[in-house]
Amino acid sequence: MRRFFQWTHKWWPGLVPLAVLWVAALWSTTAPLERELAARAGQALEGNVLDQTQLGVSGRDLTFAAAAFSREGRQSAVAAIEAVPGIRLVVDESRLVPEARPFVWTVERDVVRVTLGGNAPLPAIRARLAETARASLGEVEIADHMRLARGAPARFDAAASLLIEQVAKLKEARISLSDTAVKLSGMARELGGREAIAAALKGLPPGYSVAANVIQAPPYVFQANKDPVADTVTLTGNVPDDTAKDHIIAAAGRKFFNEKVADQLKTSIGAPAGFVAAAIPALEALSRVSTGSLVISDREITVTGDALYAAAVTDIRLNLLSHLPKDWRAKTEITVRPAVGPVDATVCQELLMQLMGKAAIRFESGDATIDRDSAGLLDRVVETAMRCPSAPIDVIGHTDAEGEEPANQLLSERRAQAVVDYLVKAGLPPERFTALGAGSLRPVASNATVEGRAQNRRIEFVVR
Amino acid sequence: MSFLLTYLWGWLAAAWFLGFAMGWISVVSHGRGLSRATLQQALLLAVALLALAAVQAVPGRAGYGLDLALLMLAAYVIGCVPGAWLRGKVVARNLRRSARA
Repeated sequence: MRRFFQWTHKWWPGLVPLAVLWVAALWSTTAPLERELAARAGQALEGNVLDQTQLGVSGRDLTFAAAAFSREGRQSAVAAIEAVPGIRLVVDESRLVPEARPFVWTVERDVVRVTLGGNAPLPAIRARLAETARASLGEVEIADHMRLARGAPARFDAAASLLIEQVAKLKEARISLSDTAVKLSGMARELGGREAIAAALKGLPPGYSVAANVIQAPPYVFQANKDPVADTVTLTGNVPDDTAKDHIIAAAGRKFFNEKVADQLKTSIGAPAGFVAAAIPALEALSRVSTGSLVISDREITVTGDALYAAAVTDIRLNLLSHLPKDWRAKTEITVRPAVGPVDATVCQELLMQLMGKAAIRFESGDATIDRDSAGLLDRVVETAMRCPSAPIDVIGHTDAEGEEPANQLLSERRAQAVVDYLVKAGLPPERFTALGAGSLRPVASNATVEGRAQNRRIEFVVR
Repeated sequence: MSFLLTYLWGWLAAAWFLGFAMGWISVVSHGRGLSRATLQQALLLAVALLALAAVQAVPGRAGYGLDLALLMLAAYVIGCVPGAWLRGKVVARNLRRSARA
């Protein structure tokens, strides 16, 4: 044993080649070792939610820099790296992502792009929101300016995804989520978009509320164009539903006795309140001009055209204004059509008979009040009567055989007088007209049928 | 440690063989060995370096170099022991044969 210890005194010369070996080992193993440890640390961090992760390895020591989203997450990440075999020291330079108070997230849309901004709680949620935007907005450029921050309310991602989906319905948008309060502004892409968004917002997660929704809808437009050459009235634009559409088309059919009604309407939600009630008098105004158009844009009505005689200009305007629902406005740009050349009494009679052959002057049931649907027809009568200014005209009322004859006689006289009143109000001299009632004594068709009775209820004009 | 042994086994084996060879040679070497005092100082230095490595006082690549040096030194010394012991056995057997002859 003593000799063995003597031998140990002679082991030192081997230290020289050992030092050479050490230098060679150090030179050839350091860089690969560092790469190996960095890779292992990276794998160890895979289950951790971090942002801006940076791993720096020097020898066996690792510098860990990252933004963590919770204290637990940060501790877990450091522990995972420390557990990696081979790592000697972990220099923890990680930090917590800053907390946002309030937690604000935004999505904006302009002509060019959709911009996601504000705060997102996790990288995965941020990526998912950007993906949702790409999926729901198609070819639109998406700019992701979101920052990561702590402090998001529960179910933030569900609320934000729902709001992104609403952007597809908007032409311009600014939507913000401040903690759980949603604010929306912008312009809907189509009619009904505003209502669709309001309905979709009911699907926000519990606890979220709409603090402000000032999304504007594009104007709700309805148009009617009267073409006297083609004898057509073309209805275009929007109506609230099929019932309203049927109602409007039926009213147009009654008011435009001489024209064919072309229906190019489509049903769209978002109509202003009182739409049908406003459209009917507006159509009546259009029915009283020879050529013209009607535009309803939201609650504003514009009627342009040529009235058949001077007094009609004011009458059309006042009549329209007096029958509009509350909060509706009307503008008329009506001129008077140049007077048509005079004709003799025979032609005048012929023209009046043609008019009465196309449509009958309507009255309210059992009454002598002229139905407003007949305003257009009566304006034609006025215009025709003006073409034979010296000819006296008898206005004769007729009824069907329903009811007692004395009552029918009286009703026919009152209805004839109502027509004469209309003509006089239009500016014709009262002495030209004589109102007569024939009761049911001169039928032109059988009173046994509904159609026959309808033909018998009429006004005749006899030009003398 | 086990990671380092696994990762550096080739280099440690080389150090061990170097130590084994040195141990083998040291038995018949006629050169002067280190004095007792020098050996003690060397041991003290090794212990000090071991302490530095244990408390991880040397950072980064220098720290890795220290760990590597200590491991290789250990492998070397561990290699010296069987080298010297086996050579001592061989020399003793040869001496016994010469004596009988």
